[in-house]
Amino acid sequence: MQQNNLHRLHDICHLTDSTYILRIERNNLEFQPGQHILLGIAGTYEQREYSIYSGTDDTYLEVLVKEVEDGIVSKKLKRMKPGEMLNIEGPVGFFTLSQEVLEQKKKLLFVATGTGIAPFHSMIKSIPDLNYSLIHGTRYGHESYGQSDYDPERYICCSSRDKTGDYQGRVSAYLKEQQFDADTYCYFCGNFNMIKDAMGIMEQKGISQEKLHTEVYF
Amino acid sequence: MKKVAFKTLGCRLNLFETDSLASEVSKAAYEIVDFGKEADVYVINTCTVTNQSDHKSRQVIKQTQKLNKDALTIVTGCMATNYKEKLEQNDSIDYVVDNNHKTSILSLIDAHYKGEIVKPDAYETDLFAYEAAEKTFHTRAMIKIQDGCDNFCTFCIIPKVRGRAVSRSADAIFENIKKVIGFGFKEVVLTGVNLGRYQYEDYDFEALVEAILDIPGDFRVRISSIEPDGYTDSFFRLFKHPKLCPHMHICLQSGSDEILLKMRRMYTTRVFEDMAKKLQASADDFNLTTDIIVGFPGESGEDFHQSMAMADRIGFGHIHTFKYSVRKGTRAERMENHLPESIKNERSKLIRELSESHKLAYRKSMLGKKQRVLVEKIEDNGFASGLGEHYIPIIIEEEGLKTNTFYDVSIVGYETYEEPILLAKRI
Repeated sequence: MQQNNLHRLHDICHLTDSTYILRIERNNLEFQPGQHILLGIAGTYEQREYSIYSGTDDTYLEVLVKEVEDGIVSKKLKRMKPGEMLNIEGPVGFFTLSQEVLEQKKKLLFVATGTGIAPFHSMIKSIPDLNYSLIHGTRYGHESYGQSDYDPERYICCSSRDKTGDYQGRVSAYLKEQQFDADTYCYFCGNFNMIKDAMGIMEQKGISQEKLHTEVYF
Repeated sequence: MKKVAFKTLGCRLNLFETDSLASEVSKAAYEIVDFGKEADVYVINTCTVTNQSDHKSRQVIKQTQKLNKDALTIVTGCMATNYKEKLEQNDSIDYVVDNNHKTSILSLIDAHYKGEIVKPDAYETDLFAYEAAEKTFHTRAMIKIQDGCDNFCTFCIIPKVRGRAVSRSADAIFENIKKVIGFGFKEVVLTGVNLGRYQYEDYDFEALVEAILDIPGDFRVRISSIEPDGYTDSFFRLFKHPKLCPHMHICLQSGSDEILLKMRRMYTTRVFEDMAKKLQASADDFNLTTDIIVGFPGESGEDFHQSMAMADRIGFGHIHTFKYSVRKGTRAERMENHLPESIKNERSKLIRELSESHKLAYRKSMLGKKQRVLVEKIEDNGFASGLGEHYIPIIIEEEGLKTNTFYDVSIVGYETYEEPILLAKRI
């Protein structure tokens, strides 16, 4: 059932020509890091799912949006002005860190492509002392959104179309070259092909399926 | 006395909700009549899970016009929620009641006959304000434990029409079950949209089922369709309990990991298969049944072959085959490589043939074994028919038996009517 939960757009922060952060009035919306919302422009029918980018203690709710070339919603959202209203449903989703993982301070591998970094940004901002490594696949190095928010020792940008990332090549190539502890809990968020490839690679490296978690962006 | 007729399409949750509504209506000053008869009020509880469900729902709405064009027609359920504005423009429908307001239907009928002008949306929303039904359309009592779904599988419209996942209080569920047992029901079927996600205070689904099994009385418990989400070994052990029916309908949807990922299902084929093995080992002759969608966008011949191979390996007691149909507003609608109907038809036929073959083998394997049949109907020839604990239709070749009664039987043969039905003698 669609519910009309209206939130005011506070501002838009443009990161690249096609990627931007929507900063939205929170209206006491509580969420777990890793969850997503269904977002649309107030008064319209179309909604899209976006992972929450901001931390649980942040004043505003943020989502990281990539303008889709043939898309409808992402283009309209980009043209919005501060003060205009958005319709939000949620939060929903199960791409979150379990109590067991948090309490036992498990070793975490976060793997993202593009704006798939959003849930990890939220997790890292929300939960102090996470024992994580974050592998971010982008086309170009300048698409490493929010890089300064991560511990440089824990963050690798894999840029596939230029040499400005920490690693030149796809995320899957990077993963193949690395060794991982079998007790690593892996979280993948981003495009379908990356997730499919990365799951296969990690299984070959001896990580059991129970430790592989996915959030697919299409 | 005004006559009211109900028609239910779709899932067991709809059946539960109709049963409860009809029970309330019958306690008020109305008479319940069969849907095919002339009535003053028709209540249609619709389904929208596939295009076919929409089509059937529309057909039933049209049917009421033929039965009595002056009748009050109330359309509710998932199709009513999905196409509310469109249906409200249909002159043959008096009220369109979305799922949130379904519990208000008796109040709506009362108000209508008092001449009050009411809007269904004006009534309070309560997804669980359904009374335990004493007289229902079924021998088994459906029990609603949960509503809504947050999984957002890319093909599925249900999160839109049933809303976010919400669980009914455990105490209300226990009370509901005790009441229906008190009414004389012998089997309760736990229903909801996404049962495995049940969570109310300290009760998760496993704890809830365990507590239900502890309720005293001569009844059995069946779990209706469920998602393959994270069951533990202790959950599988519950099937050792004599009250819990050794049958589960767990939705596989595809045997291809790539397609499962595109569907945004939260498991892999290996996880599903491990779970299937544990379930099949949890009780003698465990009957595992499933749903498979064929023709999902981008499903290659190899993907389909993997579904066939997996279904063959697991040996489901029944496969409910769905041809993928576009649901407006879902993510899959916007995916590339939608397949033509001819391929969907062909794949659907192959899965159904496989299903029939395994179903027959499974049911034949029951020959010589014991079953406890809950008699639902006395057939024209006087024999009693019903379901065993494994959810297999059984005919007891004996006259003079009673409905809603358990009989211990031995399986002595089978007949293949529209589907294989076991024949039994009383022990």
